[in-house]
Amino acid sequence: MKKVIFLLIAITFFSCNSSKNSDEKKIKIGATMLSMQNEFIVNIADEMQKKADELGAELIIVDAERSPLKQIEQVESFIAQKVDVIIMNPIEFEASSPAVTKALAAKIPIINVNSATSATPTAFVGSNDVESARIAMKYIADKLGGKGNMVMIHGLMGQAAQLQREEGSKEVLKQYPEIKLLAQQTGEWDRAKSMDLMQNWIQSYGNKINAVFAHNDEMGLGAVKALQAAGLKDKILVISVDAIQDALQSVQKGELNATVFQNANQQGAGAIETAVKIAKKQAFEKDVLIPFELVTKENVGGYLK
Amino acid sequence: MPFINALRQYGIFLAFLLICCFLSYASSQFLTISNWTIIITQVSINALLAFGVTFVIITGGIDLSIGSIVAVAGVVAALLATQPDLPLIVSILGGLLAGLVFGLLNGLIITKSKIAPFIVTLGIMTVGRGLALILSKGRPISNLSDSFNFIGGGDIFGIPFPIIVLVIVFIISYLLLKNTVFGRYVYAIGGNEQAAWASGINVNKIKMAVYALCGTLAGLAGILLTSRITTGQPNAGAGFELDAIAAAIIGGTSTSGGIGTISGTLIGALLIGVINNGLDLLNVSSYYQQVIMGAIIIGAVLLDSWNQKKMAS
Amino acid sequence: MFQNNILTLNNISKSFSGIKVLEDVSLQIEKGKVHALMGENGAGKSTLMKILVGLLQADAGEILLEGEVISGLSVHAILGKGIAMIHQEILMVPDLSVAQNIFLGKESHRFSWLNASEINHKSKQILADLKLNISPKIKVKNLSIADRQMVEIAKAISNKAKVIIMDEPTSALSEIEVVILFGIIESLKNQGVAIIYISHKMDEIFKISDTITVLRDGKLITTKKAEELDNQSLINLMVGREISELFPVTKIEVGKTLISVKNLGRKNVFSDVNFEVKAGEVLGLAGLVGAGRSEIARAIAGLDKIDAGTITIDSEETQFKSPLDAIRLGIGFVTEDRKALGFIPQMTIKENFSLASLEEFSKMGFVNTKEEIKSTQIVYNNLKVKASGLSQKVINLSGGNQQKVVIGKVLMSNPKIIIFDEPTRGIDVGAKFEIYKLINTLKAKGLAIILISSEMPEILGLCDRILVLSRGKQMAILSKSEASQEKIMQYAIH
Repeated sequence: MKKVIFLLIAITFFSCNSSKNSDEKKIKIGATMLSMQNEFIVNIADEMQKKADELGAELIIVDAERSPLKQIEQVESFIAQKVDVIIMNPIEFEASSPAVTKALAAKIPIINVNSATSATPTAFVGSNDVESARIAMKYIADKLGGKGNMVMIHGLMGQAAQLQREEGSKEVLKQYPEIKLLAQQTGEWDRAKSMDLMQNWIQSYGNKINAVFAHNDEMGLGAVKALQAAGLKDKILVISVDAIQDALQSVQKGELNATVFQNANQQGAGAIETAVKIAKKQAFEKDVLIPFELVTKENVGGYLK
Repeated sequence: MPFINALRQYGIFLAFLLICCFLSYASSQFLTISNWTIIITQVSINALLAFGVTFVIITGGIDLSIGSIVAVAGVVAALLATQPDLPLIVSILGGLLAGLVFGLLNGLIITKSKIAPFIVTLGIMTVGRGLALILSKGRPISNLSDSFNFIGGGDIFGIPFPIIVLVIVFIISYLLLKNTVFGRYVYAIGGNEQAAWASGINVNKIKMAVYALCGTLAGLAGILLTSRITTGQPNAGAGFELDAIAAAIIGGTSTSGGIGTISGTLIGALLIGVINNGLDLLNVSSYYQQVIMGAIIIGAVLLDSWNQKKMAS
Repeated sequence: MFQNNILTLNNISKSFSGIKVLEDVSLQIEKGKVHALMGENGAGKSTLMKILVGLLQADAGEILLEGEVISGLSVHAILGKGIAMIHQEILMVPDLSVAQNIFLGKESHRFSWLNASEINHKSKQILADLKLNISPKIKVKNLSIADRQMVEIAKAISNKAKVIIMDEPTSALSEIEVVILFGIIESLKNQGVAIIYISHKMDEIFKISDTITVLRDGKLITTKKAEELDNQSLINLMVGREISELFPVTKIEVGKTLISVKNLGRKNVFSDVNFEVKAGEVLGLAGLVGAGRSEIARAIAGLDKIDAGTITIDSEETQFKSPLDAIRLGIGFVTEDRKALGFIPQMTIKENFSLASLEEFSKMGFVNTKEEIKSTQIVYNNLKVKASGLSQKVINLSGGNQQKVVIGKVLMSNPKIIIFDEPTRGIDVGAKFEIYKLINTLKAKGLAIILISSEMPEILGLCDRILVLSRGKQMAILSKSEASQEKIMQYAIH
């Protein structure tokens, strides 16, 4: 048994060595992701891997499991490994900030992907979440003719995406004083929770509701299920953000009225492209903003996989 | 009414009625058949988990892995339900089997290694979560068959299917704990494991069965959840174990073992559901909902320790 | 007569939820004397002592220590005034050393936590004064029960106690240890300490007490000088009725051998034990605490594994993997450790009775409650359990009634062989007598009985043959006619 273990260690050791030797000129990128349990983030990571393979860069992806502390430690270990560029998908605006400062202090470029930190990184690739809510709310305002009642299902309170999506929607609500926000509550990004919440709202408000804005598709789909069960889906608009595959299918079936597409592919690919440019000391854009796109039944075909 | 027999739950039953009275006064929608249909449907998943964990807690153990088992079983059932050529029963049995296997694993490690159930099930909780992610490759599994989606979303004569499942499981669990030899042994083990063993009870066998039962019910809950949200989610069920344990404790199950009833646990689960529903109806912020729920849990445990003191003197 | 009074209790009354447990009890305790408090379980002795040390408050009456009223003070204050209690169930911190336990709660006054050498030294002195050979540094959990008891006494002395209450102090002690304890009591008397002594053992009471007070049903029956009473008159006072004969002798024709044990051994516990018990026979196991009596019983009942030898039941050699195997083969075990092994406290009397025989009342896994009630009611009536009914929880019963529940459970599993391990420990005279009668009845029915007891009169009165053990070795098997207290002791201390 001991011999086998020794052999295994030896093999790993040598194979590590050999790869080091042959890949000496390869660009090395370290990436720490918010959570590999989240479909959207997994999509970004997959796209990053694809792009890195295409450009011949070595990419190490690690999962910070929603822990800012872990994320900082992972960036520290990237620094110690002397990677060429670090890509960070920040967990929190403030708490993940020290990682940026540390990387810059070690003179290693760092790119934030998908969301921002309070410290300014070398580059940012992502979308502005406030914008996604604006797009969704404008859609509701248009469809209702600027007048009606709506409810809002928040994400996990206090997270950047929730805060920014709330900000965007409040902005639009101000422009349309005749749209009344009947109730708002968190659905914790969760389909089952949002379904329960919507059922309860149907009890208290029933026919009075004209539209629902959910901070993500999971919750939007939960609301759709509750409305369908109550036979109210035809009368009430539901819109959410992310454009995950389930949501796109639902839009195609005419259940979910619209979703806002946040382009994971472009974010992932953009991050790697920027990283490679920085490593090769080529010119690069400091803020790569990937625009959101409204997806309705009319244009859903182009987004379905 | 089985509730009347559960004298121990008298206090919590009264609290439940009081809260219902208050809510029907505060919200005109509360006391309607449609609202109660919704409450009971929403409660069904937690209640199934809570019934299982009630057995475990009565033996003096705990099961923290049920939330993860919900995810594993849900993913397994969903994977099978995406295969159009497989009959519905296969995905149901698949989900239940996944739950059973995890339950047996818990029971096996706990009885063979004598490691505290808290630690064993904490470990299995992580293993289960990981396995759910592996099986699903970290992504939700959708496009389940319509027949599968009926389990969580359909109804029979206007009664939602989850309620029917809940009623059946309640009756079985109630009879199992109250009227069978197995149930009696469960209480005996929790009351005094050594004495139960010395009285000729096969303690390990009963414990294995209890964890297996708890796992299987978690599997069933996983199937219901998956079908209700029409996707198999690897992150589903996180934190469910705490809600289930809370329901059992609110319902009068003693954490030191030997005491508890299925009807009490049902009231505990209903109480949690009624409060969530009522506070949503009144549009109370979820922040306050959490504070209120915590206060009720502590109140229930205080009631329990007060009861035990009274019993000891 | 009472000019040396140190402690006076005047007209103490106490009720629990309307039921009077103490009614107008007055007592005078003298300096340097042993005052025995006698009464059946439930007579009110424990309640009275709890009031004395401040654990309970009396509804009426007052307590004076050296003329100063102390009733109403806290437990801690009363301890400070010099009244200490040696509890029946020993209250010590098992993971602390002997010295730390002796000085527990007093560290802050005179000795700091850290000054280990000083408390070790002081403890050593106290232990030496008591002629005890216990190291102050050893952890309490590593001591025998007897030694723990001694440490409790040392603790009381370190408190400069003027009155020490001893509640059944010898229930866990062997004969030799009892002798040591009595020596300590003698020296405490000489130092002027008053001792209130509670025990069910008659011989002890007459050996050491100066004054005897009898309580019955919460009332004071009498206080007399010890020499004015004898065994029989004292029992009559306690029970309130005549017990003509404690050990009725029944002559039975013995039948075939039901159990035989050959070369039975368990590593470091006992070895080479050989005996057989026939139908209608009672075999006694005698010896000091730690001689291996209970351990042999546990092995035969399937609780512990054996390392050597064989057990043959009904001429069939068997191997037990668990108590279940033993019960199936007809072995019943009435444990010495009621609380830990005997019953399920939260369960009802009925549920405890049927615990080992539940499958007999079940069909397809469901309990037939009607049958269960019918059968358990018979046992309940036969054993004369004093409770509100079958559905009373066992946790609320007195020690004697809990013991009856344990015995009832064993009887319901229909055993051919019953092992009684200290069946009368901590229970009152009335209940003891009932158990003696029961053992004789079972014997007459043709059961084989193994009896373990630390009370010589029981062993001599009930057993047909007596196996004497010493440090895990079988010393002798004596027949009833050749056995005597002296002879048994001679083998036991070998």
